[in-house]
Amino acid sequence: MTPFLEAIGIDKTYPGGVHANKSVDLTVSHSEVHAIVGENGAGKSTLMKILFGVEQPNAGEIRLDGTPIHLPSPRAAIAAGIGMVFQHFSLVPSFTVAENVVLGVEPRSGLRLDRKRAAETVQALADRFRLPVDVEAPVERLPVGQQQRVEILKALYRDAKLLILDEPTAVLAPQEVVELFAAIRSLTEQGRTILFIAHKLPEVIEISDTISVMRAGHMVGRVPKAEATEAGLARMMVGRDVALKVTRAKPGERKHLCRISGLTIKNDRGLDAISGMDIVLRAGEIVGIAAVEGNGQSELFDAIGGLRPVETGSVELGGIDITAVPVDQRRDAGMAHIPEDRIATGSAGGATVAENFVATELEDERFVRHGLLDLGAIRAHAVELIDHFSVRVNGPDAAIGTLSGGNMQKVVVARELSSNPKLLLVSHPTRGVDLGATEFIWQRLAVARDAGSAILLTSADLSELLSLSDRMIVLYRGRIVAAFADTTELTPETLGSYMLGFAEQPENERRAALS
Amino acid sequence: MNAIIETILSAAFVAAVIRTTTPVLFASLGGLLSDLVGSLNVALEGMMLIGALTSVIVSAYAPWYVGVLAGIAVGGMLGALMALFHLRFKADVILVGFAVNIVAAGGTVTVLNYATGGDKGTSINLPSKAIPALDLSFLNAIPGIGPVLTQMFSGHSYLTWLAAFLVFAIWYFLYRTPEGLRFRAVGEYPAAAEAAGISPNRLRTYGLIASGALAGLGGAQLAMFNFVGFTRDMTAGRGFIALGAVLLGRRHPVGTAIAAVLFGAFEALSIALPGILPQVPGEVIHSIPFVVTVLALMLSSRRRIAA
Repeated sequence: MTPFLEAIGIDKTYPGGVHANKSVDLTVSHSEVHAIVGENGAGKSTLMKILFGVEQPNAGEIRLDGTPIHLPSPRAAIAAGIGMVFQHFSLVPSFTVAENVVLGVEPRSGLRLDRKRAAETVQALADRFRLPVDVEAPVERLPVGQQQRVEILKALYRDAKLLILDEPTAVLAPQEVVELFAAIRSLTEQGRTILFIAHKLPEVIEISDTISVMRAGHMVGRVPKAEATEAGLARMMVGRDVALKVTRAKPGERKHLCRISGLTIKNDRGLDAISGMDIVLRAGEIVGIAAVEGNGQSELFDAIGGLRPVETGSVELGGIDITAVPVDQRRDAGMAHIPEDRIATGSAGGATVAENFVATELEDERFVRHGLLDLGAIRAHAVELIDHFSVRVNGPDAAIGTLSGGNMQKVVVARELSSNPKLLLVSHPTRGVDLGATEFIWQRLAVARDAGSAILLTSADLSELLSLSDRMIVLYRGRIVAAFADTTELTPETLGSYMLGFAEQPENERRAALS
Repeated sequence: MNAIIETILSAAFVAAVIRTTTPVLFASLGGLLSDLVGSLNVALEGMMLIGALTSVIVSAYAPWYVGVLAGIAVGGMLGALMALFHLRFKADVILVGFAVNIVAAGGTVTVLNYATGGDKGTSINLPSKAIPALDLSFLNAIPGIGPVLTQMFSGHSYLTWLAAFLVFAIWYFLYRTPEGLRFRAVGEYPAAAEAAGISPNRLRTYGLIASGALAGLGGAQLAMFNFVGFTRDMTAGRGFIALGAVLLGRRHPVGTAIAAVLFGAFEALSIALPGILPQVPGEVIHSIPFVVTVLALMLSSRRRIAA
């Protein structure tokens, strides 16, 4: 039988000289779930963009059902029956689900948009492929998991036979992942083919029929599900053994370092993002915050970091009240912050790596004397940190915007850790960071913890939270609904039911784990 | 005080409000279209001014409707020009808009100078035409309220009725047609429209052309009906007030129309008040519409933050 999709000898060099795909072959059978795994920069995204017509290959051929096809644009790909769901959704927030799905290919009656037919068609698609969603609801009111369904429905409405999903589970809570996988199975049962890009290996092994592994632009292996193991795949991806394991904090008495009491924070729309939160952080521990995106964790980190005002309550760090002081005074008190958006908040894109390293140290005599920058010292400092954190960069004078995600994150982590903080705020430290750099960042965080920092961590990746956290709390709609003093026995499923608001821990149990 | 209330409640005042609202309403609807598609058009003021002068000059040598069409055309062309600079040459849309305003302020005086043979203030010696008024005096026949209705609604420019119709037509376009859906999608989240195969820049070009054409129409109404003839700087901030109406009206056609009527009412009041309150300096009274615009925008944005 002819394979459904074949890519033969795909080669792509970007104008900047990056050789992203080196004669890549990919064969996808009919109605299978085919995963493509690999580190950041391995060339997965480039290959997918070529298959969806966003990028043009320098060489190679794409065949669909044995027929060579040419994909000059996404439009051509859609016409050929290829659909793609990107990590960043392209949905109009105020439009309903049905409006978003039909946008561009609207059913009409005369001059009018035929709303009734649009809603019925979308509803029928949703029922058929087990993608339940309220077709009349505005997309902005839907949780991320359902927004993703809308994206999938968009592709199905345009009659996609091959669906490319770019890291679809990165934004989902565990239960939502289960629902997504159910939908994926229903899609393949009905003859659709799924190309699944991911880097969380347990999930990949669970859902895929075949797994292709890419490394540094090459296709390095094709493994059927039956033969796939996590360790084996990780070794193929990175090219060496990877130990994604962090030692726990040593038990023992730890002194209270940071006390958050009665904290209430408003979000951008003036509603309570966090209401009445109490928690104590101790030296030498990592406290993980699990929550589905949009349940107040971003606002909490912004507020403690000084980027958002606190409505009521107080934050005290090492005996100093930092509730309402500017960021520099918080940093003087011993706070450091690895923000969730390394590009917008964590770094200055046009500035050099060296400048980014000292951006938080401009009061420091080492780098600034008599109001003038000591360029020599700044450069030496940068060289030292680049070496220490093995940042892959041409030199301290390279603009930080030219670095890959993982290396940019290493710069931010290096800067924040170099001040030996008492309290370290960490949001999504390895979002979009590859396995090798993830391993490195995790170990650095553990080292900082062992040196006596209190770390408040949040991440969309539950396995990351579970691997790093010594204590964990779960936020749902801005309130702590569960807290665990011991994380060794915790499972993603337990956390998931609290994260989605299905359950709430009894008050006394929660209290005990919060002090 | 009683005199003021009496004035406001009179049928003549309603007629005055309709009259002062019409040019602002056209410009507001234009501003709405370009704003909704994502290119805020700050050049409404300049487009109105150029539209006004063009229609006056053309109507001196052609029938009145040709003058109006010329105003529309020149506004549309200015919109296309803005689109060219903003979308093709990637200039900031606000800066391009201000450039148009500055060109309009100086350029109209220069052109007026040539067209009138030396007059830099008004077109008084150009035999420009007026837009005919629509006579609805048959309403008089309605018993009881007939005369009042006539006083309110008869004798307005043809374009006034066109403006009222356009409020509905634009609403229908935006909220009932597939093209309107695409229009709003581009304004709210261009990436989504692009992913759906819609070209944001093409729709933005249409939006800017339509907004220029409507501003030009507003200018024609101003210089061929509200006043007959062109005076330098005669738009006197109406284009900016129109932008205010778009924002105050929550970027909805009906809301925008209501906001335009509100501003029209204060303008009518500022015309009526000097007769009633001679002790208040005219400058203070004439600043009322602008002060109201600023206050209204402050209040509305405050409510939005609180909401």
